[in-house]
Amino acid sequence: MERRGGLPVTAADLDLCAGEPIRIPGSIQPHGALLVLDPDSGHLLQASANAATFLGGGAQIWAARLAAATGLQPVDGYLTIADDGRALLLTGQRTAQGLILELEEAGGGADAAQRQLRRFLDRVEDIDTVAEIAAAAAAEVRVLTGFHRVLAYRFDADGHGTVIAEDGDGTLPSYLDLRFPASDIPAQARELYRVNRLRIIPDAGYSPVPIEPALSPLDGRPLDLGGCGLRSVSPIHLEYMRNMGTWSSMSVSLVVDGRLWGLVSCHHGAPRRVDPRVRATCEFLGRVVSQQIGARVRSAQSQRRIALKRIESGLLVPLARVEGLAEGLIAHPGLWMALTGAEGAAILLDGEVTSVGRVPPADAIRRLGAWLRQGREDPIFATSCLSTQLPEAGQYAENGSGVIVAAISGLHDDAIFWFRPEVVETVRWAGERSKEEPGSDGRIHPRRSFAQWKEQVRGCAIPWMDAEIESARDFRNAIVDFVLRRAEERAALTEELQRTNKELESFSYSVSHDLRAPFRHIVGYAELLRQRETALDEKSQHYLASIVDAAMAAGRLVDDLLRFSHLGRTSLHAARIDMDKLVAEVRRAVEHEHPGRDIEWRIGRLPAAWGDAGLLRQVLLNLVGNAVKYTRDRNPAVITIAGRADERETEYKVSDNGVGFDMAYVGKLFGVFQRLHRAEEFEGTGIGLALSKRIIERHGGRIDADGTLGVGATFCFALPRHR
Amino acid sequence: MTDLRPILLVEDNPRDLELTLAALAKCNLANEIVIARDGAEALDYLHCRNGFSDRQPGDPAVVLLDLKLPKIDGLEVLEQVKQDPQRRQIPVVMLTSSREERDLVRSYELGVNAFVVKPVNFNEFHEAIQDLGMFWAILNEPPPYLQAGR
Repeated sequence: MERRGGLPVTAADLDLCAGEPIRIPGSIQPHGALLVLDPDSGHLLQASANAATFLGGGAQIWAARLAAATGLQPVDGYLTIADDGRALLLTGQRTAQGLILELEEAGGGADAAQRQLRRFLDRVEDIDTVAEIAAAAAAEVRVLTGFHRVLAYRFDADGHGTVIAEDGDGTLPSYLDLRFPASDIPAQARELYRVNRLRIIPDAGYSPVPIEPALSPLDGRPLDLGGCGLRSVSPIHLEYMRNMGTWSSMSVSLVVDGRLWGLVSCHHGAPRRVDPRVRATCEFLGRVVSQQIGARVRSAQSQRRIALKRIESGLLVPLARVEGLAEGLIAHPGLWMALTGAEGAAILLDGEVTSVGRVPPADAIRRLGAWLRQGREDPIFATSCLSTQLPEAGQYAENGSGVIVAAISGLHDDAIFWFRPEVVETVRWAGERSKEEPGSDGRIHPRRSFAQWKEQVRGCAIPWMDAEIESARDFRNAIVDFVLRRAEERAALTEELQRTNKELESFSYSVSHDLRAPFRHIVGYAELLRQRETALDEKSQHYLASIVDAAMAAGRLVDDLLRFSHLGRTSLHAARIDMDKLVAEVRRAVEHEHPGRDIEWRIGRLPAAWGDAGLLRQVLLNLVGNAVKYTRDRNPAVITIAGRADERETEYKVSDNGVGFDMAYVGKLFGVFQRLHRAEEFEGTGIGLALSKRIIERHGGRIDADGTLGVGATFCFALPRHR
Repeated sequence: MTDLRPILLVEDNPRDLELTLAALAKCNLANEIVIARDGAEALDYLHCRNGFSDRQPGDPAVVLLDLKLPKIDGLEVLEQVKQDPQRRQIPVVMLTSSREERDLVRSYELGVNAFVVKPVNFNEFHEAIQDLGMFWAILNEPPPYLQAGR
């Protein structure tokens, strides 16, 4: 059994190394006597070897006396008077091995202690902070007990201890602010401290008093002294105490919410007795202080919760306004980190890492996200020592020892991370003030404990408060709602759009069928009439021709409109297009429509295009058709078609020497039904250029026009190159 | 066209019917022209049933079929004809108002022999009707995959 560190002189802790039978030392300390009675018969089963001398009378006689006095029931603080007039305080507990009775001499000072305690109780209500309560408790215990030095410890969630308050007369060195590793108090000792709230060693030089017989007559086992105040401690612990110059020690447990929150630990440079009733007062004080601390801790937690809630809403409000989650978070780095009191934060979305503050490398965050998804149901994961669970995290401990992860997607690794750095850097080095260490063998001193504490907290961050973890959870839930709501809104919008599209489609489908028919009928009947009435006068012939023209124009309009609306619905079939060939074909088609025109074509080499041949053919038909149409008064008409290409796009130009247009109206040129000429001057529906623009834009290209009235026009369109 | 089997014209719109008949009349076709006013009637004729149970047996030389029809629409009539082993040889010409590509695509998928978008211009329509004696005339729309660049 080798003790590894040195929590300085908490009473009885050194005998609590893992595995040591701390509850069955087989002996007690000599400042009291112990008797074990048969719970049924009241017969004496076992007794400490000093019983007769300590009590001043035979153990058997005392057994009978005490059996009668207690009725063989457990007692606590029962005063009895010995034959020589000493007041003895009796404590009795029932165990499977019998009724264990402990007797200790009760001295004076108890009433004074009670008065002192009352004053403390009045005062403690008004103390605000945990640290101040701890300081008051240390001072109070010192007044009550007269120990040279009283320390108040606090344990963190991992069991590491910090001295948060101290009261002393300078006889013993100050340990204020020192930190001690969790290993100083093994788990089974912690458990004993939690249940058994006070321990005392009045004299580190005591000789243990054996219990006789050693084994219980009831079950044949050594007597369990776990609940006994007189329990003897390890000789090695006593040796350490002597080496440290602390000849007496006492500690009172501080238990908050059922957890060993801390200790009030007392030391003295010489042996020191503390009256059992004063000790009881100290234990009571410990309970009061525990409750007060619990209230302060809970209040601090709830205050923290309120503050975090405020931060959360401060962050959620602007988030609801922006499109992207990552963009919203990065715009408020302070709030984002403050949400959990982190020093760095990151969000992983679709493999993209966005971060602020001190965070591990992006790759590491991605791997962390993937690692967390493995078999975890709770969307929230929090640790203050990541590397103990994920060894590779040791590489970025300086930034990411503590982490809270909130998974925000059931399907992906998407998550929000908060990081805290390794604690060694963030803690004040407190060991400096005690340079000279007591102890002859150097095996135990606070500096060594501090070194060991550093070793144990390597890779660990300041633990997350419950409120901070809950804050991450609340935020995550809000975000998930928000993300889901966004997705739902988008889905609803898409659905709505699809519905509208479908309506439009069936509308234009009906139109294409039904709207053309009446015009067809008008033209048909007019033609039939003209063929039938061969003797129509000129005027009648003109009327008939006008009817036909008007109906045909309306028919064309319907066709053009349908083509235009169609464009939004049909998909592009993009491919490489030989523009030389396409332009030649369009030229032939246009010439066919305008027979007898004298046109001088100047067509250069054109770069190949990337696009939908059918649609681009319509554009060219339109532009070239316009060029021919608006040059009908020119002789010859000159139509130039040229092209060029750079690494980004291919560009085509159709120029003519026609009537041109006023640049003041260039903005209207590409609008639906926008015409710059009177109908009788140039025929047309006013849709052609709008259609062309729509086609080019669907290709991701651009189209523009340049013209001078009476001189000519140039239309130019560019298409992005294929990548 | 020397085939004297009848032409089956399926058309519900009386004006289109009249204009089509006028155009056909100008072609001086000797064929009898049988008229059905909806898809069901067209199928009855082809199957010699209901109102046509006592007609002279034999398939028409061609079916001129409007796309939008009451009861059973043109595409369905087309589908039934082309899936019937005994009747799939009958040439079917779709006559339609619509330039809708999906109608065109669907018609060719179903095995239409020609697809004519009724032009607004009556003279063109007249020509189209005249050319119907010979298939694959000027206004036939080729299957979409034969169109430029598609």
